[in-house]
Amino acid sequence: MKHDLNMNELTVTDLHLDYGTGASANPILKGVSMHLQRGEVVALLGPSGSGKTTLLRAVAGLESPKAGTIHIGDRQVFDGAAKVEMPAEARNLGLVFQSYALWPHKTVFDNVAYGLKLRKMGKGEIAAKVGDVLQQLGLGHLGERFPHQLSGGQQQRVAIARALVYNPPVILLDEPLSNLDAKLREEARAFLRELIVRLGLSALMVTHDQAEAMAISDRILLLNNGKIEQQGSPQSMYETPETLFTAEFMGSNNRVPATVVSRAGDAVTLSSDGATLQGTGRGVAGAEPVALIRVEEVRISAEQVDNAIQLPLLTCMYLGDRWECLFTQGDTSLRAYSTYKLAPGSYWLQMPREKLWVF
Amino acid sequence: MTTFSLPRARLNWPRGLVVALTCLAVFVPLLLIFYQSFLSAPFFMPNKEVGLDAFRFIFEDADFWMAFKNGLVLAAGLAVIAVPLGGMLAFLMIRTDLPGRGWIAPLLLVPIFVSPMVMGFGYVVSMGPVGFYSVWAKQLLGFIPWNIYSFTSIVVIAGLTHVPHVYLYASSALKSLGSDVEEAARVAGASPLQVMLNVSLPMIMPALAYAGVLVFFLGFEVFGLVLVLGDPEGHLVLATYLYKLTNKLGTPSYHLMAAVAVCLVMVTMPLVMMQRWLLKSANKYVSIKGKGARQKAMPLGRWKWVAFAVLAGWLVFTIVLPLTGIVLRSFVQYWGEGVKLADVLTLQHFRDILEQPSLMRGILNTVLIGVVGGGLAVVCYTGIALAMHRKQDGITRLLDYSVLVPRAVPGLLAGLSFLWVFLFVPSWLDGFLKLSDSGLAAWLSAHVIPALREVRSTIFALWLAYSVVWLAYGMRLISTALLQVGPELEEAARAVGASRGQVTRDVTVPLIKYGMLGAWLMVFLIFEREYSTGVYLLSPGTEVIGAMLVSLWAGGSTDLVAALSFINITLVAIGLGIALRFGVKLHN
Repeated sequence: MKHDLNMNELTVTDLHLDYGTGASANPILKGVSMHLQRGEVVALLGPSGSGKTTLLRAVAGLESPKAGTIHIGDRQVFDGAAKVEMPAEARNLGLVFQSYALWPHKTVFDNVAYGLKLRKMGKGEIAAKVGDVLQQLGLGHLGERFPHQLSGGQQQRVAIARALVYNPPVILLDEPLSNLDAKLREEARAFLRELIVRLGLSALMVTHDQAEAMAISDRILLLNNGKIEQQGSPQSMYETPETLFTAEFMGSNNRVPATVVSRAGDAVTLSSDGATLQGTGRGVAGAEPVALIRVEEVRISAEQVDNAIQLPLLTCMYLGDRWECLFTQGDTSLRAYSTYKLAPGSYWLQMPREKLWVF
Repeated sequence: MTTFSLPRARLNWPRGLVVALTCLAVFVPLLLIFYQSFLSAPFFMPNKEVGLDAFRFIFEDADFWMAFKNGLVLAAGLAVIAVPLGGMLAFLMIRTDLPGRGWIAPLLLVPIFVSPMVMGFGYVVSMGPVGFYSVWAKQLLGFIPWNIYSFTSIVVIAGLTHVPHVYLYASSALKSLGSDVEEAARVAGASPLQVMLNVSLPMIMPALAYAGVLVFFLGFEVFGLVLVLGDPEGHLVLATYLYKLTNKLGTPSYHLMAAVAVCLVMVTMPLVMMQRWLLKSANKYVSIKGKGARQKAMPLGRWKWVAFAVLAGWLVFTIVLPLTGIVLRSFVQYWGEGVKLADVLTLQHFRDILEQPSLMRGILNTVLIGVVGGGLAVVCYTGIALAMHRKQDGITRLLDYSVLVPRAVPGLLAGLSFLWVFLFVPSWLDGFLKLSDSGLAAWLSAHVIPALREVRSTIFALWLAYSVVWLAYGMRLISTALLQVGPELEEAARAVGASRGQVTRDVTVPLIKYGMLGAWLMVFLIFEREYSTGVYLLSPGTEVIGAMLVSLWAGGSTDLVAALSFINITLVAIGLGIALRFGVKLHN
C-alpha cells in the first residue's frame, strides 16, 4: 500500500525499535507502518506491551527507533538508514501526556503560553491566542490558577490546550482519558470527540480501551506484540475482524467449544456436544479452529430453535440496564444478555449463522 | 488452648542512657564555650570575672571585623558560584547524553572527600608563585597569569570545590522528578538549554535553595583553604582569626577564642535550623512531580562538546591541578624556577616520615580512628537513631534538634571545646569532691580524677570529638537506612509477641545491616578527611594526619606536608575505591 506523502500529515514506514542494545536488545516495534491524513483521528489500540505508546513516543522524538522512516507532512524527521533524527523540539508536534505533565511552577496561562514564547511570538499576540484556546476549552476563567488548584478534568484540558495552542499539524494523545475517574471519563470522551471535530484536528491517540478508541477515532490501528494486527474503521474492526486476536480484543465474546465438521467456502458446519451449528469462516483458517460469538449476539429462547445449543442457567448478574446470564454445563460456558431476570431452568441459546465466527 | 503470657513492659533504660549520653556529649562542650565567653580570663585562672570583656575586646579589633566581612563575602561567593554550576552539572549528568558520564560521576565526589587542607596545599604547590604549573606557565608565557593568594582566587577556588555539594542535592532531586514535564517542554519546542532553565531547575528549586543555604553555611566553616591560601596576603576569616588568636597574646586567650566562637555559632546556628526547615519543605514539594517513565537521554546536539569542555575544565581545575601538584611535590626534593623535574625526583620525604615516630603514629592513628573509630561511631549513631525510631514524643524531638546542634559548631571550635571539657570537667569534679570529706570522695579524687585528666591525651578524646562533630551527618546515613524498613515488618514482630527490644534486635537491626556497613565506610571517609577538629587536641599520642598537616604547615615543613597529603589522599582513594566496588550509595 503506497500513500502519497503530500496527502498525509504523518507517515510511518517499517519502523523497528529495540529497548537496550546488543544481546540484551528487546524488540518493541517490529516493522510498523501507518499513516494519518489531514483531519483524521487514528487510535493506536492494543494490550499493554504491544508497543503503542512506544510508537507514539517515537513519532514525538522521545524514543530512538532502530530502522524505518517517519515523515511529518513532507518533512522527514527520522530515517534509520540515512541516520537522520530530528530532535523532539524541532518536530513541531503537540503531545498530551497520560500524566498531563503540567509544569507545577507555572500558571495555567504560562503553561499554555510557553510553546508560543519559544516561537518568539509577541506578548499581545500570545495573550490573545492563549485566551482564545482557553476559551475554546472552557478554561477561560482559570488562567491565573496553578495546576494543583485544578480538578483532574481541568488539568487534562490544560494539557490539551498546551498541545494545541501553536497549531501543530498533528496532535498526539497518550492515553488522554486514563487518569480520569469513570464518570468523568465518559464526559471527557464526548468533549474530546466534539473538540476534534470542531477544530478539524489531525490526531493520533494511544489507548488500551477499545470502547474509547471506537468512540473517538475515525480509524483504529490494533497493535499486537510490536506489529499491526489489523486496521480499519471502528465499525469494520468490530463487525468484521480478520483475526481471532482482533475479534477477541474488540468486544466481549463467547468461545464456543466446537469441532469443525465440514467447510464449504465461508460456510462452516460445527459440532458442539452433539448439536450441529452453522457458522461463518473468517480470516485464514487456523490449524485449531476456534468458534467465537459476541455476547450480545446470543439469543436466549425457552423453546427449541434453529442453530442453537441447550444449556442450563447457572446465574444472572444485574448490570443496571440488563441482565448478564451465565449458562454452564460441563466444560461449556456461555454468556448472554437478557432484558429481564430469567427463571432457573434450561434454555436454548441461538447463535445466528453470520455472527458465529470460525477462525 | 493456652496463650503464652508475656513479661510486663519495664522502663526503657537503654533509651534513657542513650538520650542522657547524647545530650551530655552535645551540650556540655557548647555550654562551656558560652560560659567561657562571658569570663574575663581563661577558666583555670584564679582572677576571672563574669562580664562582657571578651566580646568588647574582639569587637574593638579591626581584624575581627575584617575576618567577619571576609567570611560573609566568601559564603556569598560560594553560593553564587556553586549553586548555578551545581544545578547545571546535575542536569547535564542526569538528563543529557553528555559523553563520559559514567566515569565522571565518581570523580565529582573527590572534592567532597579530600581534606580542604590538602586541597589548599595542592593549589599552593601547583599554582602558587613557584608551583609546578605556575613555573611551567611562566616558561611558556613569560609571566604567571594568576595570583592564587588573592581573596578573589580563594573565593573562586572555594566556590568551585563546593560545586559537588550542590550537585549531590540537585541530582537526587532531578532523579525523583518525572521526565514527562521535561518531555512536554521539548515537544513544545524547547531546546535542552531552555528545558533546563524553564522547567528542570525551577522545579528543583527547593533542593537548590537547600543546597544554597548549605554552601553558604559551609562558607562560614571554611578553615583549611583560607589558612593555607590566605596567609601570604593576610586574608582572614573567623575560623582562621580564632586560630591566630592562640598566638596573638602569648598566654592562652581562651576567653577571646570563646567569644569569637560564640559569634560564629550565632551565625551558623540559624543557618542549620534554616536548612532543616528547607529540607522539610523540600520533601513536601516532592508530592507535586511528574510521572517517572523510561526515558531517553536528552540529545545535546552541537552543544555536547561545549558542555563537555566546560566540565572537563572544571575537573582539571578542581581535581587534576591540586592533586597532581601534591603527587609531584611529594616526590621531588625541592622545586623552583629552572629546576628540572627529572633531576630532583626522590623518595626521601617518605623515608623521613618512616623515621619520625610521631608521624608514623599519626598515620596509624588516622587509620585506626577511621576504621575502628568509624565503626564505633556508627554503632553510637545507630543507638541514637533507634532511640528515635517510631517514637513520636518529646524525647524524640529533643534528640532530633540535639543532633543538629553540633552541625553548627565548626570542627575547629568543637575540638577546642572538647579540650576545655577534658581540662575543666576533671578539675571541677575534683573541687566538688574536695568539699566533702568522706573516704569515697578522697578515693575518687585520688584515683578517678587523674584518669579523667589522662583522657585528654588519648585517642578516645579525639574520637569523641570526631563523633560529635559528624553526629548530624552520621544520623542522616542511619535514618535513611531505617526509613527503608517497612513499619509492618516491625508491627508483625510485635504482633507475635516480641518486646520493643526484641523487635530492634531481631528485626530492625538485621534489616539495616547493609545500611550500617555503608555508613561505616562513609564515616571512615569523613574521619580520614577531618583535620580541624584535631587541631587543639593534638598531643603526643593523639596525632592524626589532618591535625599534623595544620601544625606542620605552620612550621613550614613543606616536604612532610606533601608526603603526608599524598598518604592522606591514598587512604581516601582506598575508601572511595571500596565504596564504588561494593556499590555503596555515596549520597542520598
